[in-house]
Amino acid sequence: MTQDDFDRLQTLLASRAGFRLTRDRIHLAEHRLGPVARREGFDTVEALLGSLWVKPVASLAWSVIEAMLNAETWFRRDRAPFDTFANEILPAIGRVRPEGLVRVWSAGCSTGQEPYSLAMAALDARANTEIVATDLSQRAIDRARTGVFTGFEIQRGLSVTSMLKWFEPAEEQWRASQSLRESVRFARANLLDDVSESNRFDVIFCRHVLTDVEPARRGQIIDGLERWLVDDGVLFLGPDERLDGDTVAFRPVNGRKGLFVKTPSALSRAA
Amino acid sequence: MTVRTCLIVDDSRIIRKVARRIVEGLGFEVDEAADGAEALIYCNSLLPDVVLLDWNMPVMDGLTFIRRLRELPGGLAPKVLFCTIETQPERIAEALAAGADEYVMKPFDGEILQAKLAEVGAI
Repeated sequence: MTQDDFDRLQTLLASRAGFRLTRDRIHLAEHRLGPVARREGFDTVEALLGSLWVKPVASLAWSVIEAMLNAETWFRRDRAPFDTFANEILPAIGRVRPEGLVRVWSAGCSTGQEPYSLAMAALDARANTEIVATDLSQRAIDRARTGVFTGFEIQRGLSVTSMLKWFEPAEEQWRASQSLRESVRFARANLLDDVSESNRFDVIFCRHVLTDVEPARRGQIIDGLERWLVDDGVLFLGPDERLDGDTVAFRPVNGRKGLFVKTPSALSRAA
Repeated sequence: MTVRTCLIVDDSRIIRKVARRIVEGLGFEVDEAADGAEALIYCNSLLPDVVLLDWNMPVMDGLTFIRRLRELPGGLAPKVLFCTIETQPERIAEALAAGADEYVMKPFDGEILQAKLAEVGAI
């Protein structure tokens, strides 16, 4: 891959996905795009990109974009937010909603470990929840929907008791139980576009997503999250992710790393 | 702060070596045993904080070891993580019923072991 190819790749990722492809990832790009080139019938990564620059076919562009996204995730990643969700947020919001219904959005759910972790917590608590999980990558969403995980994935973050309770062996892998799979509704969505939902959410998990977002696009994404969060809802980011300088719509909650609520100014704006 | 100790019980020297490197990286002091009988002798004189335990081993297997360990004075204290190639839910349940705190299916890596140790509160 030439430097020019990489520059164009950076632009493609930034404009379509708001994704910041840092300069040090040129070798990673080479490595990730190899399988895409083979799958799409090109001899080399250069041939794949060359064709894309000449004739920007949307499906090919998205295959390239999806391959470059950061798909890393695991069950109950960082642990604490999932305990906060189960022990504090679910009961508190459920108490003040009709029929106790709490609407949850896992924004940037990758291969599904986050929404399934939320669903396990909700089912354990017998809480009435609606969990919507979206990701930019169609491949990630397709995988998430199967609910099938490898031995490595299933063991990362999940206790053996939870594994036995919610998953069953499927050949060499583990498949989520029907009740777990039915608890999450998966859909592809680009956080740069508007979301096609009819109602706002009480809880949004958008963790380890903003870190990879092009600085110029952060505001747009955060505005979208704010618009889709009810006034008394909560937003979970990664424990080290901050919103300083990006928005006045949210403020961090003391003592809860990565937890945000709307500020009064955001509420008056909405009203 | 006292150093936490981990006993690695596996008849494969390679597995012991791999596991040792991981748990030492997490700050544990490590000892090794090649089967359940050796491990039991070790535990009779000194109980480790954590035991990583293989299932199938010569002389004494992991299941027999953990049952005997749990009968020792103070033997309920060590956190025991089975680390084996057994992946059938019935076998896993059997290990848990015998007193295992967690269960790791081989192959595993550092991230899995770290997550499982965190799960039992050992780190």
